[in-house]
Order: sequence, then structure tokens, then C-alpha cells
Amino acid sequence: MLEISELRKRFAGGPDAPGGKVALDGVSFSVRPGEMFGFVGANGAGKTTTMRIVMGVLQPDSGSVSWQGRPLGYDARQRFGYMPEERGLYQKMRVAEQIEYFGRLHGLSGPATKKATDDLLERLALTERRNDAVQALSLGNQQRVQLAVALVHDPEVLVLDEPFSGLDPIAVDSLATALQERCRGGVPVIFSSHQLELVERLCDSVGIVSAGRMVATGTVSDLRAAESKTLRVVVRDPAPGWAEGLPGAVTVHGDRHTLRAVGGDDQEILRRAVKAGHVEHFGVEQPTLTEIFKEAVA
Amino acid sequence: MNGLMLIARREITTQIRTRSFLIGLLVTAVLIAALSFLPKLMGGNDSYTLGTVNSQQLPLKQAAPDVEFEWRSFPDEGVAKQAVLDGDVDAVLVDNAKVLTDGEIDSQLGVLMQSVNREVKLGGAGVSIAPLQMQSVGADTRYQAARTGIAVILTVLLFMLVLGQAVMVAMGVVEEKGSRIVEILLSTVRPWQLLGGKILGLGVLGLINLLTVVVVGLGAAAMSGMFPDLPPGMPGLIAAVLVWFVLGYAFFATLAAALGSLVSRQEEVNTVLTPLTMLIMATYFVAFYVTNDPTGTVATVLSHIPPFSSMIMPVRMAAAEVPMWQVGVSMVAMVLAVVAMLAFGAKVYQRAVLRTGARLKLGDVLRAK
Repeated sequence: MLEISELRKRFAGGPDAPGGKVALDGVSFSVRPGEMFGFVGANGAGKTTTMRIVMGVLQPDSGSVSWQGRPLGYDARQRFGYMPEERGLYQKMRVAEQIEYFGRLHGLSGPATKKATDDLLERLALTERRNDAVQALSLGNQQRVQLAVALVHDPEVLVLDEPFSGLDPIAVDSLATALQERCRGGVPVIFSSHQLELVERLCDSVGIVSAGRMVATGTVSDLRAAESKTLRVVVRDPAPGWAEGLPGAVTVHGDRHTLRAVGGDDQEILRRAVKAGHVEHFGVEQPTLTEIFKEAVA
Repeated sequence: MNGLMLIARREITTQIRTRSFLIGLLVTAVLIAALSFLPKLMGGNDSYTLGTVNSQQLPLKQAAPDVEFEWRSFPDEGVAKQAVLDGDVDAVLVDNAKVLTDGEIDSQLGVLMQSVNREVKLGGAGVSIAPLQMQSVGADTRYQAARTGIAVILTVLLFMLVLGQAVMVAMGVVEEKGSRIVEILLSTVRPWQLLGGKILGLGVLGLINLLTVVVVGLGAAAMSGMFPDLPPGMPGLIAAVLVWFVLGYAFFATLAAALGSLVSRQEEVNTVLTPLTMLIMATYFVAFYVTNDPTGTVATVLSHIPPFSSMIMPVRMAAAEVPMWQVGVSMVAMVLAVVAMLAFGAKVYQRAVLRTGARLKLGDVLRAK
């Protein structure tokens, strides 16, 4: 289990911010083995800072990160895989060499690195490009190399900052599949994204961060349950004034009347609707993650 | 293999394969070879073709054993004159009394002919003159020209290599910082390993360059028959140059890395390196001055002050004899300066390399905790 607790970080202020800027104000969450954790939040909310602290690239002012019950140190981090926010590759280095280089830096032996590199190139459909310079690759292919760099040492934990940004839908799917495979293998995966539908589809749990604070964490269904439920009723050609006294507002499109009700007795609402006209739809609306997100950071 | 060596190895293998490295190496080698042949081509004329008309050949060879003389005889002055004007001969001796030349005679040849002629005539009259014994009571200046030549080449070479490799270090630092590769790297290795590996790797490339120059230079000198003209103590000088290069490079490359870590874009590298470039340029100009005046006060003082000493001391050693204790003192001072620069550079680098964005101020970096 990867546990992040009470991370605080303040950046030294420049001339325009004499007191410094608070980046993290007590961020805590945990990710279980085999869990995919989606990290969402507005730009500047603190996602990248948190991930950098997890990867040991930044030091927190206070708070701690622990892995398998022990404070996360340099050696354990060698077995983490990381994809930073802006893509970091040597543009002039060859694809296979680059992946091997990072494999060796993560402590793999020469032969083990070669094998892992060949496997990854095969799986990511890059075998034919193995001797090309990275700069000759399309953005999507570069992203695959970046993923290979994060995966080459078969990491115990994956930390990916915006791995899906700039990818076409097909590349998104293949990356998602690769991550799900790792996840099924028991690897905790943390990734940040602004593509909330994607997070909703892929992640077991979600953390919403706003202004350096974790404003909501939990599974997507937990977060939904915490939201106040909205009942949506569509009635065709109802008697005028049918919804008077019911909680919520009615919008009219032609002969379709839609009632969105929060709270109130749903059975009573149903009875009234049936009496008023032809009921086409009656159901509780699932808030999307986007709605939950907007609510949480508001 | 640990992180430092892996990083150094990557620097070497990626750079060594680039066309610019190979072309650079080739151009240096060709230039050095050309320079080694140059003195031979530009040096004083050491062969003359002479003619006689109704005259005895002068025993010039006895007076100037290093110079080759070829003699021709002409039937009369008219033919001889034409030969002089055609450039077939440098001078013609007529009737043992007159010398024909095209324009003014080569001064070495003129003096030689005058004095040998005088000697022959006096000898004919029964007077024998013992040659003057030459004895130098000052420093051995036999090799001064060669020493100065070597010192000048060394100045240019050290300047180009130290500046070139230091700029490469800075560009490498910015490449990694700007593309955020540094974040992945720093999650696997420590900052000092990353910095040290880069400096080490590019330093090895610099040494390869320097050694190429030494080997090509010595080879060309051997082929052009200049070996005997080289001053004694060349192996010692070469060893000293290598050590001084390593020290100077370590100092300037670390400074370059520290300055480079302040910016995030390649376009800003030149600007941020300005203080470093100025420092190396200043050292270069002083070193050039020292090739002319290797024993003056400027040379003596600045060859002890780091980082100037890293370039000025080897140049001074090439140009003149330097007491061993001075070399020792200067080297100790430079080593201390390198250690201090490594500590300073590592501190700045570690603090600045992850702060991407606008150019950082050195003062802010040092103040931030």
C-alpha cells in the first residue's frame, strides 16, 4: 500500500509573492496494490507537486510518503516507474537505447534490460522504430517510448503525470490497456488527468485536489452516493400545473415536460406524474465525475 | 555499474557518434598537422643554388653545415645573368670578385659568401683564423622559437577545448532540465551522480580530443623531421598539460553546469554563460600575452591564481622553464579551487535544476533553503 499523508509544501516566493505560495496544504490519500487511482484537480491545484514528492524529486516541508508500511526511501523508489508532466526524452537518442539506458539506471542488469526493452518494443508496436532517433517519431509514438521508459524495470508502483494528454483516442485506449494490465498484476497506479470521463472509466478510486487540499477521495460510486440525488421525470403532454408544490423545476420542450427534483418523496412524485400524463422517463440521475468535480472544487 | 558511470557512458557514446564530434576531431587533427609542418615551410631557406663564372666554388658547406648548396658553372656573364633573372640560381660568383643577384641578396647567403670569401683569400695569403667560440651565459634559447610555437598552439587548444566542453555541459544540463528528463533521472540517481557523470563523460571526450592533437602533432613533427628542434622535456610537458586541462575543465565545466541549471531553454544558454565565457576569454588573452613574455610579472602572478592558472601555467611551462615549486603551489591552489567549485556547483545545480520556467537568479537560488 502506498500511503501519502499530510503533505505540505510551500514554494519560496519571488518578488511578486513575498510570503511564498502554498502548493500543498495537507494532502493525504492511499493507493492499494492493484488499484488505479485517478488524480484530478484544476491546473495548479497541486497534483504535479504531490507526484514529484512521491518520486523524491521534491522534498515536502512536512508530511510523509510510505510504501509497504515503511517510509519511502531512495532504494525503494528505484522500483517505481514515473512519467513526468512534460515529456522527458533525449530527442537525439535512439528509441531502444533510450529505454535500455533508463532500465540500467533503474538497476537492471545488461541482459535483463535488453530483454525487457525488446518485450516492451514488441508490445508497444515500436520494434521497427527501435533504431530511430526519438525526434523522428510522431508525438503518439514518443509517448509510447515514454511509457516504455516508465515500465522497463517492471515497476512496483506507477506514477504518471498526465499520461493521456495529447493522445488520439486509439493511443488512449492502448495506453489504458497497458496500465490496466499492470494494475491487474498488483501494481498500484496513480495518474493525473483532466479527461474526467477517462478517469471515471478507468479508475477504481479518485482523489479531487483543489488549492493544495484533497477535497474528496473515494471510489467513483462513493463520491456519487455522497452527492445529493437528482430525480428526473419526463412527462408527455401533462395537465397544466401538474408539478405545482413538487420540489424542483420543470423545463418544457414541445409537449415534453421535464422535472428535475432534489429531495422530496419520489413515490409521491411518480403518482403525480402518472396522473398528469404519459410518463416517458423516471429515474435517478447519476452525477458524472465532471459534476462531482465541479461541485467539489466550487 | 553505478549511476555515475552509466551517465558518463551515455554522454560519451551519444556524443562520439555525432557527426559534429567526428568532424571537429578531424579538423583539429588536420590543423595541428598543418601547424607542425608550417615552420618547415616558412622557416629560413636552407638550400641555395649558386653559379660560377670563371671562379672557384666557395667552401660554404664548411661554414654552414646545415645548409645545402648546389653549384653550376656558366660559360660567361651573359648566360649567368639570364639564369639569375630566370630564377634558376640564387646568385652567381663572377671572377671571384663579384656576385650577381636578382634584387638584393638573401642576407644569410650574402653574409656567408662575404665571410667565406674573406677566409679563403686570407688563407691563400697564409693567414689562418681560428673560428670564434660561441658560448651562452644566459638561458638556453636554442629552443625558444619551438617553445613559443608550442605555447601558442597550447593556448588556442586549451581555450577551445575548455570553452567548448564547458558549453556542452551547460547545454546538456539545459536539455535535461527543459525536457524534464531530469525528473526521471533524479528519481533514479542522486543529483551529484547526474552532474558528476555528465562532467566526467564530456571531460573524457575533451581528453580524447586533446590526446588526438598530441599524437597527431608529434607524428607530424616526426614526419617533417622537426623532432630534433623540439625542446627537451616534452613528455613532462604533455603530462602537465593533460593534468592542467583536467583541472581547468573540471572548474569551468562545473561552473557552466551551475549557470546552465538556472535556465530552461537552449536559447538562454549563451546569455547565462556570459560570465563564464568572459572569464575564459580573459584567461585566453592573458595566456596569449604570456606566450610572448613567459617570465614577466603578469605570467608569474597569474599562473598562481585559479582559475587563470589552469591555462596560464601550462602555457608558461611550455614557453619557459618554471621552478617546480611554483608548479606545485599553483596546482594545489587550483585543486582547492576545483573542490570549492564542485561544492558550489552541486549546490546550485541541485536547487535549480528542478525549478523549470523563467530564468532563476543565482542569489535567489543560494538564499532559498
